[in-house]
Amino acid sequence: MSLISSPFTKNPTSVSALMLWVIGATLPGLFALVYFFGFGVIINIIIASVTALVTEALILKTRRRPVLPILFDGSALVTAWLLALAIPPLLPWWMTVIGVSFAIVFAKHVYGGLGNNLFNPAMVGYVLLLISFPLEMTSWLPPAELAQNPVSFMDALSYIFTGTGFDNQSIASTRIGVDGFTMATPLDHVKTELSQGYRLAEIETHAVINGLSGSGWQWVNLGFLAGGLVLMFRKVIGWQIPAGLLLGMVAMSFVLFASNSDHYLSPSFHLFAGATMLGAFFIATDPVTASTTPKGRWIFGLGIGIITVLIRTFGGYPDAIAFAVLLMNMTVPMLDYYTKPKTYGHKAKRATGDSDAD
Amino acid sequence: MERSNYKSEIPIFEFPGGIHPKEHKVESNQTPIRDIPLPKQLVINLKGQAGNRSLPVVNVGDTVLKGQVIAESDGIFSTHQHAPSSGTVVAIEKRPIAHPSGLDDVCVVIETDGKDQWCDLSPKPNTHNLQRAEILAHICESGIVGLGGASFPTHIKLKRESGIHTLIINAAECEPYITCDDRLLQEHALEVLKGAQIISQLYQDLTIIIGIEDNKPDAIDALVSARKELGLDGAKIAVIPTKYPSGGEKQLIQLITGKEVPHGGLPADLGLVMHNVATCFAIFEAFEYGKPLVSRVVTLTGEACQKAGNYQVPFGTPVEHLMKISEASNPGVLVMGGPMMGFELPNSKVGIVKATNCIIMAAPKELKHDHLALPCIRCGACMDACPASLLPQQLYWHAKSDEFEKAEEYDLFDCIECGACAYVCPSDIPLVQYYRYAKSTIRNQKVEKTKADKARLRHEARQERLERVKREKAEKHRKAAEARRKAAEAAGDDDTKKSAVAAALARVKAKKAEQDEDSATGSSNETENQETDNKGNDA
Repeated sequence: MSLISSPFTKNPTSVSALMLWVIGATLPGLFALVYFFGFGVIINIIIASVTALVTEALILKTRRRPVLPILFDGSALVTAWLLALAIPPLLPWWMTVIGVSFAIVFAKHVYGGLGNNLFNPAMVGYVLLLISFPLEMTSWLPPAELAQNPVSFMDALSYIFTGTGFDNQSIASTRIGVDGFTMATPLDHVKTELSQGYRLAEIETHAVINGLSGSGWQWVNLGFLAGGLVLMFRKVIGWQIPAGLLLGMVAMSFVLFASNSDHYLSPSFHLFAGATMLGAFFIATDPVTASTTPKGRWIFGLGIGIITVLIRTFGGYPDAIAFAVLLMNMTVPMLDYYTKPKTYGHKAKRATGDSDAD
Repeated sequence: MERSNYKSEIPIFEFPGGIHPKEHKVESNQTPIRDIPLPKQLVINLKGQAGNRSLPVVNVGDTVLKGQVIAESDGIFSTHQHAPSSGTVVAIEKRPIAHPSGLDDVCVVIETDGKDQWCDLSPKPNTHNLQRAEILAHICESGIVGLGGASFPTHIKLKRESGIHTLIINAAECEPYITCDDRLLQEHALEVLKGAQIISQLYQDLTIIIGIEDNKPDAIDALVSARKELGLDGAKIAVIPTKYPSGGEKQLIQLITGKEVPHGGLPADLGLVMHNVATCFAIFEAFEYGKPLVSRVVTLTGEACQKAGNYQVPFGTPVEHLMKISEASNPGVLVMGGPMMGFELPNSKVGIVKATNCIIMAAPKELKHDHLALPCIRCGACMDACPASLLPQQLYWHAKSDEFEKAEEYDLFDCIECGACAYVCPSDIPLVQYYRYAKSTIRNQKVEKTKADKARLRHEARQERLERVKREKAEKHRKAAEARRKAAEAAGDDDTKKSAVAAALARVKAKKAEQDEDSATGSSNETENQETDNKGNDA
């Protein structure tokens, strides 16, 4: 006799529904990316998704797990999708394949699959690519309105799969903006120029830095912000991590900016530059690898915000969301342990670390 | 669903978490409470209350009248059981019972004679003339237990007098499907309040607060007019927002007082005592008419039943009889209690007990069945839903990997098993099942540990005694040897003849001393042997 146990009713949310919401909410940001940087983004997403699903299916089979139900929980798809949004639009296809399959196999399944991984898979894949192929991974196109040679769909396809344009144009010539220079991202540009001894006031006259935080990028960030807010109000993600992350970023950058506004970027630049909003609402909020307590989520977010600004300012890489997320992933077990909420009927929060059970 | 516009008469606080499942109340709360035709047999479970099983005082073949005591309370933590109808006792044996364990237990089976004839009742309508002890004794003898679901003997809950200042009547009825308290209030609010008045006599200056969810507008109206009729202006109606589990004792206290029952404590520690509406009604009937608790209002509902509604059901009525009455056909699953905290019945032959507030006769797909649980993604939806502010995701993690100490550190035992976490879990993990498993394993381990500790103490005591005996023996031999040596020395001084006599004397003396000591230690040797035997038996 097998009796089922209460509760006998449940609300209809499911993991795959949550994952679909996440994917859906990236659309505004994705449209902005496509508008400013061409169809390469879409092609990357397709390559990444196919790679993720094939890798996931293969490894599930190897691990003798049910393939179909887990494949369609959508988590592999989200990993692929987020990684594809983070990489440059014309990245050679095989790099995307390496990044995604590494993320699925080594960052996720080696730890025991969904729910057991310590590090954010998309960011592990991203960092692997960033350290292995630094040149390709920091080569972005100029935003559409600055480009001399806008990239068509066929161009993008050709660059990604062959390395040269549809009409045999080299990728370097495509990367030249209106002022005749190869285009870096605004963050990268600022970093290079600052190291050349320029002052911020001078750098900000460059075309790539117009607007809040550089042409195109502010719209991409606004897009991700809009989608992220939808997730937040749908309660797909908690509000603490994005709030903490943005607050940490503003606070840290404000301290630097106030000390020397000629040398350090303003909080508003940081907020809308690079992968800030994608990171705050879509990457740092990966529930598996983030802290799970309300207070822990605050600290987790704050940490990412602060570390991101520090690496962007003093580190060797122009953007730092990925590093900051991975660094804070390491602190999660400890954060969770020391930030337990007060249970009903208990007096004050006890320092559980002192208990002799350890 | 319709919400009451009635404004709460006291400020309402909040409790964290909670969920809003589909209410499913209108299916059963539109019709008045109906009586049922008597079943042929009543199967009365003797463990119909929390605490000790009642002791049967009838034999097979006895004729019993309705309300007659058929089982007496076994010690203080128990109550009487009464015949729910007149008839003949045909069996006292183990039967399947309405209990989550699904195990059989002792039941008294009564074949009804259809007359439903009451025994002599002793009403005590003038409760003002009664002493505190008399009131408590009458409540105990009337077999009254908490009818909200836990079946805790009411007289025990009422025992503590000092420091109690507020009586909270729990009319929240937050579980979906269940409407028995709602209907009872709509039809008998006056009697319920009178019952509460009897309770208030047990204390000095007791404030009465009725906690009720705003999805019961008719019941609230009934309460307001009943209160007016009684002139019971001191009683306040606390209208709380509909949110599960607002009717949990700890949650209702938090809603009404803003305070938390301390960990390991009781509501009485905050000066509160809480009783369910149906319990108040039962107390009223026990004093006004002298009727012991022999039946209760039960909600029969679920998509499989055609005539859903509330019925006055004698205890021991088999569920299959209720299925016939409510015209239920092929239910997929039978649940006693609500869908959040109820349990599946082993079969339809079990009898209704005092805790049965609802039977859900669900259509095959109406209630959840087992399906594949996906991995936990630590989304924290469970944490947001937990009314006890626990971290269900961490509890699950530790319970699953048998790390019980960790689970206890995460306050596993503060979990009230309300099921809100499992309700919201996107991975469909049966979280509550893991917590029940961890709790029962920890409880068993503690029992085992106490046993092991006792055995260890016994073993250590035995080792010590053996050591002592060994020491005493060695000492005894040393003394004897010394005596012999002294005797030999004395002999050496005198001439040979004299010495030979002395030596013989000394030997006799030494031997005597030895014998004396032997008889002294002999008894302890015996007990030792006995214990070794006992040990052998234990093993």
